[in-house]
Amino acid sequence: MKLRRIKAIAVKETLQIVRDPRSLMIALLIPVLQMFMLGYGISLDIERIPVCAMDREGSQQSQDLLKRFSASRYFSVQKLVSNDGELAHAIDDGSCRLGIVVPAGFSQALNDTGRGTVQAVIDGTDSNTANLAANYARAVVSGYSSALQLRSVERRGGHLQTQTPVAVEARVWFNEDLVSRNYIIPGIVALVMAIVGAQLTSLTIAREWERGTMELLVSTPVKPLELMLGKLAPYFLVGMADAGICLALAVFWFEVPFRGALTTLLFTTSLFLTVVLCIGYTVSVAIRSQVGASQVALILTMLPTTLLSGFAFPIEQMPWPVRGVTYLVSARYYVTILKAVFLKGAGVSELALPILCLAAYAAVLVLAAARAFRKTLD
Amino acid sequence: MIRRIAELLIKEFLQLKRDRSARLRLLIPPIIQMLLFGYAATFEVFNVSTAVLDQDHTQASRSLTAAFAASGRFKLTVPAATRGEVRDAIEKGDAEVGIVVPPGFAELLEKGQSSPIQVLADGSNSNTALIALGYVGQIAGSFGQNYALELAQRTGRALGRPMVNVTMAERYWYNPNLNSRWFFVPGVIGTLTLITIVNLTAFAIVREREVGTLEQILVTPIRPIEFIIGKTLPFFLIGLFEVAIVAAVGMLWFDVPFVGDPLLLFAGTCLFLMSVLAIGLLISTVCMTQQQAFASNFFVLNPMFILSGFSFPISSMPPVLQWFTYLDPLRYFLVIIRSCFLKGVGIAVLWPQMAALAALSASLLAIAVLRFRKSLD
Amino acid sequence: MATDAAPQIVVDGLVKRFGDFIAVDEVSFEVGRGEIMGFLGPNGAGKSTLIRILCGLLTPSAGRALVAGIDVADDPDGVRRRIGYMSQKFSLYDDLSVIENLRFFGGIYGVPRERLGERLDYVVEMAGLAGRESSLVATLAGGWKQRLALGAAILHQPAILFLDEPTSGVDPASRRRFWDLIHDLGAEGVSILVSTHYMDEAEYCNRIALVNRGRLIALGTPQELKRRALGAGPLDAATGRPIEPSMEDSFVALVGRSLEEAR
Repeated sequence: MKLRRIKAIAVKETLQIVRDPRSLMIALLIPVLQMFMLGYGISLDIERIPVCAMDREGSQQSQDLLKRFSASRYFSVQKLVSNDGELAHAIDDGSCRLGIVVPAGFSQALNDTGRGTVQAVIDGTDSNTANLAANYARAVVSGYSSALQLRSVERRGGHLQTQTPVAVEARVWFNEDLVSRNYIIPGIVALVMAIVGAQLTSLTIAREWERGTMELLVSTPVKPLELMLGKLAPYFLVGMADAGICLALAVFWFEVPFRGALTTLLFTTSLFLTVVLCIGYTVSVAIRSQVGASQVALILTMLPTTLLSGFAFPIEQMPWPVRGVTYLVSARYYVTILKAVFLKGAGVSELALPILCLAAYAAVLVLAAARAFRKTLD
Repeated sequence: MIRRIAELLIKEFLQLKRDRSARLRLLIPPIIQMLLFGYAATFEVFNVSTAVLDQDHTQASRSLTAAFAASGRFKLTVPAATRGEVRDAIEKGDAEVGIVVPPGFAELLEKGQSSPIQVLADGSNSNTALIALGYVGQIAGSFGQNYALELAQRTGRALGRPMVNVTMAERYWYNPNLNSRWFFVPGVIGTLTLITIVNLTAFAIVREREVGTLEQILVTPIRPIEFIIGKTLPFFLIGLFEVAIVAAVGMLWFDVPFVGDPLLLFAGTCLFLMSVLAIGLLISTVCMTQQQAFASNFFVLNPMFILSGFSFPISSMPPVLQWFTYLDPLRYFLVIIRSCFLKGVGIAVLWPQMAALAALSASLLAIAVLRFRKSLD
Repeated sequence: MATDAAPQIVVDGLVKRFGDFIAVDEVSFEVGRGEIMGFLGPNGAGKSTLIRILCGLLTPSAGRALVAGIDVADDPDGVRRRIGYMSQKFSLYDDLSVIENLRFFGGIYGVPRERLGERLDYVVEMAGLAGRESSLVATLAGGWKQRLALGAAILHQPAILFLDEPTSGVDPASRRRFWDLIHDLGAEGVSILVSTHYMDEAEYCNRIALVNRGRLIALGTPQELKRRALGAGPLDAATGRPIEPSMEDSFVALVGRSLEEAR
């Protein structure tokens, strides 16, 4: 293997990159755009759920209850409806996700039996929001219920029977305010890097085939491994620049707490970058048309990373066959590493396992990519 | 004119027919995506790994921990002997939640006082943490209520008037079991179609530009508008086909119901496809090489995808971003397709979306055609 | 034309099949040192396929080919080190300048660093591109690109050159100039295998192989072939001497004859 040939290819590739400023600009801008888009667009904090309220009773009690919904930051009471038809319409056309119905005779029942039931009609289309909405609604109702209990006990002048026999004192670690942003942004960095990385290299080989320059290149003594290293080198630099941009945005713009070491971050990032660059390269080798290569590269990176890396959808909750598949997704390890380095301040020793997996992945891919490139036309 | 368009159509389909890998690329990704989204994309929370420390060792404390285990939401995987062990488990990631029942728990309960338990949650997965804490509250709460009731009966303490208790009864419409696949599958149809068709359209034209055959075609008597129609019509048909296939798989494999009007969905799909094609066309007017087309595609498609309400609700986005979503055809199409599948509503409800799509398609197409004409000179 | 050394290219019963289609059909020939061998034939005759096999870009279905004494099937990389190749499309990087392209190939072929500078100068001079080293290749006209591509192929001074239709789409004056370069190289001892479908260029070669439909129909010097094809030819009325038949007519005659023999 000759360093000289690798250098020649790297120089050529760099010149070509620099001479296509449009692509380069896009390559550097895309991560920025993605970070903003995803950072603000993806929020697992469900807030301001549109709600409509139907108060069949119109008593002080029902008003109190509905006021609590207005006051809750999870809900935004959009309208008051007066009959079933209007309620149905509101949910049908999506203007409200949840309808709270206080039935007639509500306060009467409370006085007589001490039991009251509030009805909630929830749009189940978006199952996650529906689930959370139901939980929050239940919390509001039970808050109301507790307040009533307190008042009723005080009125009896009785000694304060506790209304919360079992009191939960909760503490949250690493992300004390449960700001989903802190949890998501490191994952977003991984997502952006995965996609951008593969995109950078996925067209590089296919393009030379289509333009005819590859034919000449394979007639020279250059070896497949040399070709790969030479081609990937400049893209590695661009990729690290991208990573730097994303990570800087994460820390300084989105203010995600960073408790780890910069060296760990750089080391693991370069490992992951190698992996995704190789993925893109392999796609480019396997598919000689640029159209095909781009589609496949996008599919191979965007989808698995979004779904199976654990950046938004927790892996622990997936059915076990799917969980098994996630072990094949390189981004999974990087997401774990990023989250740990950012939020837990983890170092190389704690992260030995995912780092090893990532390194193994990189080694396998480098070899596979190099060997996949065949220097014959048939 | 029809004849020239027909010739173009034939050429496109011939090229597609011969390109076997292109055919595969049309069929395989949708299927894979549906499988993945259907099974992987879930926000539900079950069997959260939990570390439990019972420092009370009474019947009450054991009943409490048993209640947690029985709920199906928590898996008591790490029995801890000290608080230190609970902390370690969370730090190492062996447990996402830690529950500590302190000594004296049962005693306080017996006295009718508030008896605390401590819960530690790993916030690095805040969604799970939030939901898990919610369940902790619920389970602890109902355990407490039951205990108080039973205590009252046992000690014969007269309660006087019965204890006030307001509960909530919920009913889920359209998706009674909150099956997340029912939510995602229609979404996948829309998203996939968007990505595939924009990709195909943009690349097809840019490819001809890069290879040089575009010039060749343009010296023929063909008019730009005919060229555009000839180029985009095959993809329009492919898009319809894609929607049909993926919908069929969704219904047959994932048992997603379709309670709406197929014609309405068809109309909505056509409108959506028109705006998608326009986007592909627009991209092709700014790109000289396929490499640029690829980058531009991504530049445009990813935000459209994220901001469409596909899996992250629009109402939770900051208002600025919400304004942007009004320009996203996918947003409207998702509403239409989800409504057709799950809600069964008609045009009376969906007309705003249809109108918006129509307006978007028209303007995008107009801009695209004008730009295309200009780019030829 | 020195034929004292062993032949640089030896092809023996070479066959290449693509499925049912036979692109190269039992071709055998040799090329000596400093010899310029022309491959003449219509499009689709198999010329490019043959060259690609000899460069190690395609694997033979049957038969043997030795380039610089190395079997192409066994050690294609060894072959590649010793040859220069110019493809039909010239295959230069449009978005790189003249000198950047040359430096690139210089590095790839491992031209020793001490020699690189002088080789670069030589090639630039030869291509007539002195003063235009920083021009992007995309801005060059056909003739310049052609000479540049040749230059890139000889930077490392290979003993053997394969030129696949190097004069397609180039103006006649440039074509003449190009052939002058080829002759200079031949005189230096480089063995050159050129394929072309321009019949008149055949006259510039030492020997010609006529190919049609994958088969070698005739092999010999231009004179030999013409004589074989059309005999002495008609006599010129004015001078009384035989009018030399054109290569084209000879070709047509030979092809016709071979087709008849096949039947």
